[in-house]
Amino acid sequence: MNPQLRNLFRKGTPDAAAIDAFIAAAEFPLVDGRDVTFVYRGAADAVHLRCWISGLDTAQPFQALAGTDLWATTIDLPKGSRIEYKFEVSSNGHRELVLDPLNGVLAHDPFGANSVCQGYGYERPAWTLADTGARQGEIHASRLHSTVFGEDRDIQVYLPARFRPKRRYPLLVVHDGVDYLNFAAFKVVLDNLIHALEIPAMIVALLQSPDRLVEYGADERHARFVNDELLPHMAAHFPLIDDPVARGILGASFGAVASLHTAWRNPGHFGQLLLQSGSFAFSDIGRHNRGPVFDPVAEFMNEFREQPGRPAERIYMSCGIYESLIYENRSLVPKLQEQGIDVRFEEARDAHNWENWRDRLRTGLTWLFPGPLWMVYE
Amino acid sequence: MNATAPVRVLLGPQSPEPNVAQAVAASGLPDGPLAVVSAGWQETEGDIDEMRSVLARQLEDLHLYRREEQLLAALPELAAAARLRQEQLIEQQRLYRLRLKQLSLAARQVMRADGDADLLAAEQRHAIAQLRALDRHHLYRTELIWRRFSSVNGPDLHPELARHIREIQDIVDRSNGIVLTGGNVAVLINRLRLFEVDRMLEVNNVVAWSAGAMALTGRIVLFHDHAPEGRRDAEILCAGCNTVSGYVFLPDASRRLRKADRQRVSFFSRRFAPDQCIALDTGNELQLRGSAIVRVNGARKLGSKGRVSAVKVK
Repeated sequence: MNPQLRNLFRKGTPDAAAIDAFIAAAEFPLVDGRDVTFVYRGAADAVHLRCWISGLDTAQPFQALAGTDLWATTIDLPKGSRIEYKFEVSSNGHRELVLDPLNGVLAHDPFGANSVCQGYGYERPAWTLADTGARQGEIHASRLHSTVFGEDRDIQVYLPARFRPKRRYPLLVVHDGVDYLNFAAFKVVLDNLIHALEIPAMIVALLQSPDRLVEYGADERHARFVNDELLPHMAAHFPLIDDPVARGILGASFGAVASLHTAWRNPGHFGQLLLQSGSFAFSDIGRHNRGPVFDPVAEFMNEFREQPGRPAERIYMSCGIYESLIYENRSLVPKLQEQGIDVRFEEARDAHNWENWRDRLRTGLTWLFPGPLWMVYE
Repeated sequence: MNATAPVRVLLGPQSPEPNVAQAVAASGLPDGPLAVVSAGWQETEGDIDEMRSVLARQLEDLHLYRREEQLLAALPELAAAARLRQEQLIEQQRLYRLRLKQLSLAARQVMRADGDADLLAAEQRHAIAQLRALDRHHLYRTELIWRRFSSVNGPDLHPELARHIREIQDIVDRSNGIVLTGGNVAVLINRLRLFEVDRMLEVNNVVAWSAGAMALTGRIVLFHDHAPEGRRDAEILCAGCNTVSGYVFLPDASRRLRKADRQRVSFFSRRFAPDQCIALDTGNELQLRGSAIVRVNGARKLGSKGRVSAVKVK
């Protein structure tokens, strides 16, 4: 039992007032080195921890703590881990997924929010927090007509602080760009890293697909949209460095597939790729088992793995160790390196979520786009 | 010590606590105006009010950054030549870096290898000699690019450039010395060379910190052991003004350099010998007359045995 809980029960069953005091004083979940104890208080028939960690059961049962309305379960969480979770509370035949009522730390994503467990040794990186001292870039709306998709497409464009039209800037194209802004503190990260001279001032095109599972799933139309329509639009409206080295694509999950696919279809156009938790499903033999939405992805990845070509000069990849996609990502690294591509691969004790992707941005961006820090001696 | 030689005051970063006023006072630099080069700050060049209040002297910024922007906007031919020069320098640096990465990796492995002491010592010497040869080659190639540019883009061919140089010379002549601030060392050295301030530095008193101090040396060494994109090997950027020869200055070394790693320190020191590698942290000061050190405050040198020790007045 967790030492704090043991202490609560040391003189027998605690009364409601003692439990109130315990809950008010403790931080939840209870982290004791690698042992992390989740606590739920309330009437229920059963409580389960749902945390979608590859390698663990998707539902860990809680135990009722005798004589109280407390429930607890303990998992082993290695140092530096960060996981997102919910509680599944069963009562009178109903099951409900709820946030941890005792934990105010939340992570948001397009589907809502999850509770966050920051394991022993995890700290949110300072560069992901707004810094009032950092000069602020600006987000501008831009619209272009896409012949490929037969409609107008809205994009958002990040312009760095002290943007000057006479200067030329690198361009980064970001899939799910609005989600990156909302859930991965992307503007804060850009402002902070540019201010710290860790990356150069750059222009960022933030895309948001209306049908990402189709368009980002190795859809040839999307590759044409980015290369043949977005790039000329950006070059016509913004001062860009006309060099593949200064041109990159970023994406996570299906966005990483779209990034790799776009660069693969247009070799020599994008020098830098930043691929996070890529949904790089493939099948060496037989069929993949990830569902029909992955069919075009697996078809592309199978072809890509046979003939990778040279989609970019440098590729930064990251993936959570607690994702099932870790296998696909790990196995892609040597394939890329065999092509002479400079590849950097980073694993994190995290899962398939926006904060994992947020926390890896500094390493990826600074490696692909090193800033003038190297040249600046204040 | 040559008492008539110009004063050279070299300092570490002036943030958070500047020591430039104390250092200037201690140097015996006569009262009077100083010319300032803050081109390394790029767009914020000339923002020297704080320095003015600290030094309590008349300061006049030479505005090398702004002058170059004006000059290149007015002279498209010169702008094209400057762009070509920069592209060549960047490409040269890229190629140098490719070779450096492999040579440096091999040298570090040999430095850490176990085995017969005599055999190892010979291989270590040779590994470092290879690095030094590459550094020399790079320095030669970058100088060649600069000479090609300067030979057809000097003030004799561009009257507008000559006019700027005369204006700068006039300001320097009215001053008791030149102050070089920190900032982007590549931006700084490019402007110092274009406007021939390197020549003016030679005969004037100079106070310089961080990038400014680096620009005064014979070769500019870039370094950062804790860069966010991962450790990089120290690189030579190009030749400096050579106003102060025989030294490699390492500003902010406590933050940028792994000084506790004796092998790293030894490697660094041996690679750039016979130049002395000197760490200049905030609050540190080194004063020279000619090439002789006449005053030290906190500056430390990197030794060939991997120790970091206080610099002594010679």
